[in-house]
Amino acid sequence: MDFIVLGQQIINGLVNGMGYVLIATGLTLVFGVLRIVNFAHGEFYMLGAFLTYYALTLFGVDYVAAALLATIAVAGLGIGANRFFFRPLRKEHEFTILLSSLGLSLLIANGAEELFGADPKYVMSPYADEASEIGPFVVTEQRLIVFAAAAVVMAGVYWFIRYTRMGKMMQATAQNPEGAALTGINTDFVHGYTFALACGLAALAGALVAPTAMLFPTVGSWAVLKGFIVVVMGGLGSVTGALLGGLLLGVVESLGGGYISLGFKDAIGYAIIIAVLLWRPQGLFSVSRSTR
Amino acid sequence: MLNRRITVAALAAATAIGLALSPAAAQQKPPVKIAAIAPLSGAGAFDGQLAVEGMKAMAEVINQRGGILGGRKIELVTYDDKGTPEEGVSAAKRAMEQDNVDMIVGGWFSAVALAQKEVTRDKIINVMTSSQHPNVTEQGHKYLFRLNATSTMMSDTYSKFICDKMKVKSVAFITINDDYGRLEVENYKKLLASCNIEVKGNEFYNRDDTDFTTALTKLKALNPDAIYVSAINTSQGATIYRQIRQTAFKGTIIASAGNMNPKLIELSGPALEGVYCVSLFAPDSQNSSLKQWMTQYKKDFKNEPSFIGSLGAQAVQVLAEAADKAGSSRDYDKIAQTLKSRKWDTLLGQISFTDKGQAMQNIYLVQVKNKQIVSVASGS
Repeated sequence: MDFIVLGQQIINGLVNGMGYVLIATGLTLVFGVLRIVNFAHGEFYMLGAFLTYYALTLFGVDYVAAALLATIAVAGLGIGANRFFFRPLRKEHEFTILLSSLGLSLLIANGAEELFGADPKYVMSPYADEASEIGPFVVTEQRLIVFAAAAVVMAGVYWFIRYTRMGKMMQATAQNPEGAALTGINTDFVHGYTFALACGLAALAGALVAPTAMLFPTVGSWAVLKGFIVVVMGGLGSVTGALLGGLLLGVVESLGGGYISLGFKDAIGYAIIIAVLLWRPQGLFSVSRSTR
Repeated sequence: MLNRRITVAALAAATAIGLALSPAAAQQKPPVKIAAIAPLSGAGAFDGQLAVEGMKAMAEVINQRGGILGGRKIELVTYDDKGTPEEGVSAAKRAMEQDNVDMIVGGWFSAVALAQKEVTRDKIINVMTSSQHPNVTEQGHKYLFRLNATSTMMSDTYSKFICDKMKVKSVAFITINDDYGRLEVENYKKLLASCNIEVKGNEFYNRDDTDFTTALTKLKALNPDAIYVSAINTSQGATIYRQIRQTAFKGTIIASAGNMNPKLIELSGPALEGVYCVSLFAPDSQNSSLKQWMTQYKKDFKNEPSFIGSLGAQAVQVLAEAADKAGSSRDYDKIAQTLKSRKWDTLLGQISFTDKGQAMQNIYLVQVKNKQIVSVASGS
């Protein structure tokens, strides 16, 4: 077996996987804290990428600033989506909320097609085409940035949830919303910044991954699908699960595509979902919750 | 109550007057309706948009000249086939049954054309455009015509050039996993083997893939002299060309026939510089009707005129002229016979149709130089 190709495929997989991690973390946070399965999550990924593009071309700022601006703007949109869309639906049945989020997704995707146009766009990053050769392996700077930035951000998210006051409020709300409210936590406020964090992470993923491929308004449906596979693998509501699940999916896809068949690449993700739901419905990496 | 009665009476009177007056306005003759069925949403949406824009610009050129059949204007009715056979079939049905169009232009993707031709079979003039699968015309019908060269015709011309001019000894393929892609690989394996170019491997990708690094890593490890990229939509094509460069592949890149356009060059950046392709469309040709169309196109739309748009324009052009010569927009036997009986001067040069309705077009070899598509040689 050729170890250089194997190593290269694992590197490809880890980079793709880190993109999935960022998408899935937002999805899993919103589910954990608000019990909402948000089908519109992928559209925030798409908006993050498109806003980066427009910040670059219209305002002429550099790539890093554009990515940050887009992330902050979409985090703001996340607060808006929660305040004006999900909050009024809070008392409804969860299927109503799920279907409404699907509606929101279609609305944003079609609105984007109307507003941004159907022609594919490309986010120019100064790091995209420069291939760095590390020993026998080839990685572009952009792909290194995707991995490094996502790793730093994930460490930050973990620290935020674990050790800050706001993070602990999120944990409390996730464990028992009524109990949290009784102890004086403003759960509305918690919901708001959970959405901001989730949508910001999706947007950051969009901004980071965009320079590696072309951008079009329906790209969100791809993103939310990968996100769901990772969330199911890692266990709903678990951030560490999303991290491990995302990296695992990336590597498995890349090795499956490389050594079995490329046409099979997407099928691997679905096969994993079925297997996980059959044998470990609580997720691959979480301890069983049925005992609590 | 009374008020309402008066209002109703007044409305009725107004309508009656309107009707009485309308014959004067109706002096204008009814338009010739042509259905434009194209992918206007999904991953092929941009290509569909280019196609419809090309048709509109040509319709405008003809209408400004006074239309056809003694002053009838051409009216395009657009439908979205979403790039799928099901939607293509339903669009053709709506065009025929609800909107009562005179003729149909469609079939941008082979899979759609193959399904759609069964709905229009022997019922209405149906021009298929960019689809390349041979069976579109091989199993066509008496009113069916196809403009693009088939993938077999293209690969015959292209492989000769690859054998003679490109100094490569081995090639690897990355192709789309559908009827068109599979047929292409099969063709080239045979044709290139005949001039001793070794085919080192092939990777199929899916219609909605956005990451090709896995496939390209595999192909690069085979160490071929050239990578042949078969990509039918602009967005996936541009991603593949960029990622080839990002994997630090240093060999020759060969672009699949008929899939080069200005947007692709813009999106792919330096990755496409110097790359060859074959096309029916050479933007630097001196054809006068091409120039007229390009001027109109640039006036009406912000995109650059493209091959896909020029094919749409050619469809409108030959249909308009054929209906005009046949003296009717509905006598399909006569129109079909007229189309097959003579040569046509179009914006892409002189063409003729075989008995099966397949167009015989000029095929140009083009190259990307300084971000422009320039013609290098022409064959047929």
